[in-house]
Amino acid sequence: MNISGRLSLAKYLAVAVMMTIFFVAVGVHASPPAAESSELKIVLVSSEAAKADAGKKSVLDEDYVEDDEYYDDEAAQKAKIADPIEPFNRVMYHFNDKLYFWVLKPAAQGYKFVVPEVGRVSVRNFFSNLRTPTRFVSCLLQADFNGAATEAGRFAINTIWGIGGLLDPSSGQELNLKKQDTDLGQTLGFYGVGHGFYIVWPIFGPSSPRDSADIVGDYFLYPVSYLDPFYVPWCVRAYEEVNSTSLRIGDYESLKDAAIDPYIAIRDAYAQYRANKVKQRKMKFESFWGGQTKKENVEKQD
Amino acid sequence: MQKKWTGFFSVLMLFVFIVPVYAAAPLAVVETNVNKVLDVLRDPKLKAPAAKDAKTQRLRVIYKGMFNEVEFSRRTLGRNWNQFTPAQRAEFIELFEQVLEKAYLDKILSYTNEKIEYTREILHSDKQAEVQTKVVTSSQEIPIFYRLIFADGSWRVYDVVVENVSLVQNYRTQFNDILAKNNPEHLLQILRKRVKEQ
Repeated sequence: MNISGRLSLAKYLAVAVMMTIFFVAVGVHASPPAAESSELKIVLVSSEAAKADAGKKSVLDEDYVEDDEYYDDEAAQKAKIADPIEPFNRVMYHFNDKLYFWVLKPAAQGYKFVVPEVGRVSVRNFFSNLRTPTRFVSCLLQADFNGAATEAGRFAINTIWGIGGLLDPSSGQELNLKKQDTDLGQTLGFYGVGHGFYIVWPIFGPSSPRDSADIVGDYFLYPVSYLDPFYVPWCVRAYEEVNSTSLRIGDYESLKDAAIDPYIAIRDAYAQYRANKVKQRKMKFESFWGGQTKKENVEKQD
Repeated sequence: MQKKWTGFFSVLMLFVFIVPVYAAAPLAVVETNVNKVLDVLRDPKLKAPAAKDAKTQRLRVIYKGMFNEVEFSRRTLGRNWNQFTPAQRAEFIELFEQVLEKAYLDKILSYTNEKIEYTREILHSDKQAEVQTKVVTSSQEIPIFYRLIFADGSWRVYDVVVENVSLVQNYRTQFNDILAKNNPEHLLQILRKRVKEQ
């Protein structure tokens, strides 16, 4: 190796070392104390606590400033829902609350005691498979052809290989065809239709004019609705509800117990949940079609 | 030839240092704290029902380090924060923390070996981040997102989003409703009563 070779090697090494030190310094500055070893932390705890206390006092004197940087404030504005018929809704809320605690929950508990979890999950899969038309049509209406194809594929695979839909082999790791979590209410939201206002229906629960359209549309797309005689569909739906409730006993209770005003808490949770679902569908559309048009443009240029 | 290799290695060395230290910060905070919680819950010495107080005590230490309770309260009150005097703010933070602890403690203590997946970390700015996780139970998957803020030299959680529902926003709607008709003292009264009766 000649001298110039050695020189350049030294240069490279020097640059490498310098840059490494620089990035480590930046990294250490940005990384939190939590990333350090726990032993170190114990030593630091007392001084940190004192610092935090001092910080708390000064923050307490600071005013809250509406900040555009806070992305969640913006999201909060979008997820609001008007409630002009609150007195009616509150009555319906109490009716549904009693219905849950006096009828649905005891039934679900008894059912849970008799049927093991595997069985109940299978029953849920079965009904979910029957609801494929709703999801398929919703995907199509949202121009989500990818999602529609996924739903069609899932229906075929789960019906044939999943023993009529009792099992869900499609969402396993090998096939990875995940259920498209969408409905007609989301489809309307996707096209910019707002909630309108908040309605609590007896039995159906939190809804809005927009999502009520979903209840009606779903009725026609759900094969169970066409069973004879007229009372059979309602019995099937009641059983479906008991089954799905048995898999989430305690969720409603903890939501209610954690709330200061349960009625408002549930109304807000409903509004946030639906708003985020619609947002996710819009994002899926944009990422799919946005990417597609870009690709097409590139191909045309070529 | 050798020149090429040294260049290559120096670049490689950079990557080795940059990636884990710089990008993993908020996710690491959530993961280490959640793991600490799981360690307490899985501790066989604390399995007995009598050990509930000891467990609670340990969990309290963990969540105090994990959450930025001032930011949590401030955002929950939103614009109403400005109507509170500093003394009322301090009391509100204290009471709200107790309300939340009582509401969610039993839920956390009922944990039975669910799997937790850390799916994504999003940096919204150099001060705001979101860590997306998923709790996988035998019958369902529950997405839980942690929102973090960088303040006083560390990333700490100021909001938890469970199944698309933000806790801060949910409480903000409730408190807004109360404070639209009443003064801050009335809200504190409600919270005091709440803490006492539980």
